[in-house]
Amino acid sequence: MIERLMNLDRRIIFLFVFAGVAVPLLMDFSFPIKPTDNVRAVYQQIEHVAAQKDGKVLISFSYGGGAAAELQPMARALLRHLFAREVEIVAISLWPDAVGLAQAALKGMADEAGRKYGTDYALMGFKPGNSVVILGMGQDFRGTFPTDNFGASTDTLAVTANVQSLADFDFVIDLAAGESIDHFWIPYGQERFKFPLAGGCTAVMAPDLFPFIQSGQLIGMIGGLAGAAEYETLIGHADKATSGMRPQSVTHIIIIAFIVLANVTFFLSRRRSANTTSHQDLA
Amino acid sequence: MIFLRRTFPLILAFVVGVIGILVFYVPHSVAQALERDLAKWFMIIAAFAYFLGLYSLMTLHWTRVRARQPGWGYSLVAYLSFAVMVVFIVYNDGHGPFHAQAEAGGYQWLYLNVYVPCTSSMFSILAFFIASAAYRTFRARSPEAALLLLAGLIVMLGRVPIGAYISDVIPDAAQWLMAVPNMAAKRGILLGVSLGAIATSLRIIFGIERAYLGGGEE
Repeated sequence: MIERLMNLDRRIIFLFVFAGVAVPLLMDFSFPIKPTDNVRAVYQQIEHVAAQKDGKVLISFSYGGGAAAELQPMARALLRHLFAREVEIVAISLWPDAVGLAQAALKGMADEAGRKYGTDYALMGFKPGNSVVILGMGQDFRGTFPTDNFGASTDTLAVTANVQSLADFDFVIDLAAGESIDHFWIPYGQERFKFPLAGGCTAVMAPDLFPFIQSGQLIGMIGGLAGAAEYETLIGHADKATSGMRPQSVTHIIIIAFIVLANVTFFLSRRRSANTTSHQDLA
Repeated sequence: MIFLRRTFPLILAFVVGVIGILVFYVPHSVAQALERDLAKWFMIIAAFAYFLGLYSLMTLHWTRVRARQPGWGYSLVAYLSFAVMVVFIVYNDGHGPFHAQAEAGGYQWLYLNVYVPCTSSMFSILAFFIASAAYRTFRARSPEAALLLLAGLIVMLGRVPIGAYISDVIPDAAQWLMAVPNMAAKRGILLGVSLGAIATSLRIIFGIERAYLGGGEE
């Protein structure tokens, strides 16, 4: 029995994980979500920007389809908050495959809030080069993005007409699936041009960013789908991230149960082999 | 010939590297103007790198198809998918290839309804393998492994709402683990990696590290 459990067919584990994801998606229940200080700091900074006249926020979309399940709900929650508080939004992309996701999130949230392209928000599109795009925007924003994603001149868009540099933004948020927050935005953007920066990242990346929060280089961080759900709780609009907490919670419990089972069988097996060895020694 | 293959790239790397460092730290208007120009050059070169990547990918798949290597059918699918996307990009919802990308149309539809779900599915498969790997390897074989196991379980519970549902202490403990021991370890690793990156950059700028030139140690 112990041997069978030690070498459990992985398809059984797959089946449990599948059920842990699928069943909670079909059921309707919820857990209370408690926002952490790091997520709350992002929310408060947007509230602070909204209190200013003509507050302007830059959002960098640095993720592709692989991380969309985690970062797209985060983008939607942030945009919903920004549009509701009438903050002007400029979006860029450091990943070529992020443009379509940025466009979908911006359009969806702008239509919901009744905001207009060009006056309330703009999508500048993708530029290759990561760190130099950030340096370029810091030196000359309109030179780096002379047109938006749809070919309109940056000078003719009300939302970008007065932007000269990154320092003209009241807040910058990078939604990242890679290393763009700590490798590009902090050293080449925040440190150089001194603007408040926050990061939204996949859950697996979140531990890497804690040193930058303590140093003050990041004012806050939204980590993974759980962070997005916390943000949805703060803005009082439960969406995909909040509903995603059901399967995520159940799947975590299933994985923990399997880890506990594996350790129990491991110790039982070790005790049995120790007993066998001592019996052989006595014989 | 050796001048063009080795000496000239070394001089170029040295000059551009030193200028790149200087203009980053010098706030004079001339230096800043030069930095703007360098940034534009870099973006142009980075854009060409995409063509190089595309050429490399297509060559790899073409070799597989031509040699009928195992799994060559997948390479054919890669070619077919690429061709379909290019057709829709060029068509650009009726606007043609010289107009900015249209907000709607076949390309956008394929991107949102085929590409994004496919890549998301690929990523989500990780959950199954992580569960299986955790079952097989995450065992308290030593006191250090037991400590890691305990920390892992607390963070796993603390990062989902069910943790707070069980006890308010769990998310606080998870946050403490991330903000104190994790951060201390990450900071140490970060300092080491950064010092290594600075050393490697200086080796490239001063021509000690030449692997990027290709051709081995000759």
